[in-house]
Amino acid sequence: MSTPDTMRRAGRPGARLPVTARPPAPPRPVPARMAVRDVVRAGGSGLRSRPLRVFLSALGIAIGIAAMVAVVGISSSSGENLDRRLSALGTNLLTVTPGQSFSGDRAQLPAESVAMIGNLPAVESVSALGKTDAKVYRNDHVPVQQTGGLTVSAARADLPGTVGADITDGRWLNAANGRYPAVVLGARAAAQLGVHRAGPEVQVWLGEQWFTVVGLLAPNELVPDLDSSALVGWTVAERELGFAGRPTTLYTRAEESSVPEVQAVLGATANPENPSEAEVSRPSDVLAAKEATDDTLSALLLGLGGVALLVGGVGVANTMVISVLERRSEIGLRRSLGATRGQIRTQFLAEALLLSALGGVGGVLLGIGVTGGYALSQNWPSVVPVWAMAGGIGATVAVGGLAGFYPALRAARLPPTEALATS
Amino acid sequence: MIRPQAVRTPRPVVELTAVAKEYGEVTALRGADLTVRRGELLAVVGPSGSGKSTLLNIMGTLDRPSAGTVRVDGHDIDALSDRELSALRAGTIGFVFQQFHLAPGVPALDSVADGLLYSGTPRGQRRAAAERALRRVGLGHRLHHQPHQLSGGEKQRVAIARAVLGDPPLLLADEPTGALDSRSGAVVIELLNELHEAGTTVVVITHDRDIAATLPREVRVRDGRVEHDSGVRQTPRAPVPQEAAR
Ligand SMILES: Nc1ncnc2c1ncn2[C@@H]1O[C@H](COP(=O)(O)OP(=O)(O)OP(=O)(O)O)[C@@H](O)[C@H]1O
Ligand SMILES: [Mg+2]
Repeated sequence: MSTPDTMRRAGRPGARLPVTARPPAPPRPVPARMAVRDVVRAGGSGLRSRPLRVFLSALGIAIGIAAMVAVVGISSSSGENLDRRLSALGTNLLTVTPGQSFSGDRAQLPAESVAMIGNLPAVESVSALGKTDAKVYRNDHVPVQQTGGLTVSAARADLPGTVGADITDGRWLNAANGRYPAVVLGARAAAQLGVHRAGPEVQVWLGEQWFTVVGLLAPNELVPDLDSSALVGWTVAERELGFAGRPTTLYTRAEESSVPEVQAVLGATANPENPSEAEVSRPSDVLAAKEATDDTLSALLLGLGGVALLVGGVGVANTMVISVLERRSEIGLRRSLGATRGQIRTQFLAEALLLSALGGVGGVLLGIGVTGGYALSQNWPSVVPVWAMAGGIGATVAVGGLAGFYPALRAARLPPTEALATS
Repeated sequence: MIRPQAVRTPRPVVELTAVAKEYGEVTALRGADLTVRRGELLAVVGPSGSGKSTLLNIMGTLDRPSAGTVRVDGHDIDALSDRELSALRAGTIGFVFQQFHLAPGVPALDSVADGLLYSGTPRGQRRAAAERALRRVGLGHRLHHQPHQLSGGEKQRVAIARAVLGDPPLLLADEPTGALDSRSGAVVIELLNELHEAGTTVVVITHDRDIAATLPREVRVRDGRVEHDSGVRQTPRAPVPQEAAR
């Protein structure tokens, strides 16, 4: 870097004596390069002597980074948890409902739709539920209006295998008990009817007669409708509850690789007469959409973390400005020892970068800790993406560079004599 | 004790010609001339505010004159950039100040080792040289002491060790005994004498007339001018020939 004053006088015929009278001018002095380790050590020397101030201004940075890493970490952990749950539940379940007919009635599916879907290639299993108009009560004294939102449905015997329903007590409807007034209760239905176990002596008042509770279902995440249902056998429903034998919901497991193809033809297959009426959905998608982390909230929290980081950066800048003011005589001494302006600038920039990198590493660790703690409390796997950690450190380096730039420039511009004159 | 090259009239270490320095309205130097030859030890004396420190800073390239020429070790400093001046200081000039300038909490060895930080010397060599330099100034038993654990005289000796770490041909000391009692001051002056005998050119500002009188050459500054130059006195200690008219 050649300064104007070099230019100004370099070519001047300034020698008062003939050139020959003077020994030849020595070669121009060249500043030595500082080793990177020496630069880092010089930058660190300013931090070591003021540990408390360094801790506090690094903390400012750390809080910002920790907030951002934790937001990303918690949302990744929740996403990972959802992924694991979905893969346990299976994402190949498809449901068909009749939808609304033009007249606005609850439409029904043809009785033979189950068999027709079963004939499709790539369908692993199919089962059905048919809603009845019957109501279920704890006993025969309960007023009729108090249905508690529970529904009574006819279920095919192969329903649990298809939707993945778990029995917590008793057994599922089978060929033997399905013909008699037997009922299996969903989790919410059982709780509401005050039923805690299954057995021959446990009975509920269903469709104007006593039904024996033969089984209880575990809560079902994929098909939450089952939770509030009382399920009876298909034959009993037709015989005792005036059920017409037409399914209201079809459950289909398709081969994992053919889900979209099956999904495309399912409506038409289930209801060839009114293919547009049938509604096909994929419960795992519904669940994913419901549970997906709220992106606007995440963005808001991320923004708050960014603001905290910015405030931390201002703190670092402030610390650096004070550091330069306090260390004028050190700057003067270093200039007298032969430091160039550039080396002074580099030293203070290195100090600012170290300071904020300290905060960045601390913040990333803190963010990982917060994510781990929250994930533990939610029973989630703890996931912090590598890009979030790298991004966090990268952001602090950028902040440190910005915060240290101006103070470092001021330190470098200080004339040596002025710097030395301050005590 | 004269080194052979001193006899062969080599180029002077410092040559100031008609140097002036103004700070706004204030004139600190007005036409100062001074030549310092290799191997000299000279005292700069003068009343407060007469321009001694200004003169020393200009000799040490910490400041540039408003007018006049300055040559240090053969370089016309007007022709050098700030970077090149820094490199010149790193290799050629050592400074000692009244206020020591030792960083608090830093052991003597590390402070001294910083004397070669900007010369491209690896750290191991810097520390080894620092230990030697500290032993040379009689502080071999204080290597790991921090400034607050050292007496004023010891601090100044640490600062001198740092200044001469790279064996610079020129050592500039601005009132090195100013903050010391007379006993510690005498030790410091003795140390400067030793360095001089070992071949270093030493310029020392002092307010102490007695000290100045014992040194081989005395330059008196008044009102920004060199008012009196004793020239090199014929002393048994430093029989350098009288500075001849160039
Ligand atoms: N940076 C500056 N700005 C303005 N005036 C200055 C500056 N530095 C020195 N001066 C003035 O220049 C003159 C010479 O100052 P200098 O420091 O060289 O004196 P000195 O001989 O070293 O004095 P002392 O013995 O008290 O140290 C003084 O009048 C001082 O006020
Ligand atoms: Mg002075």
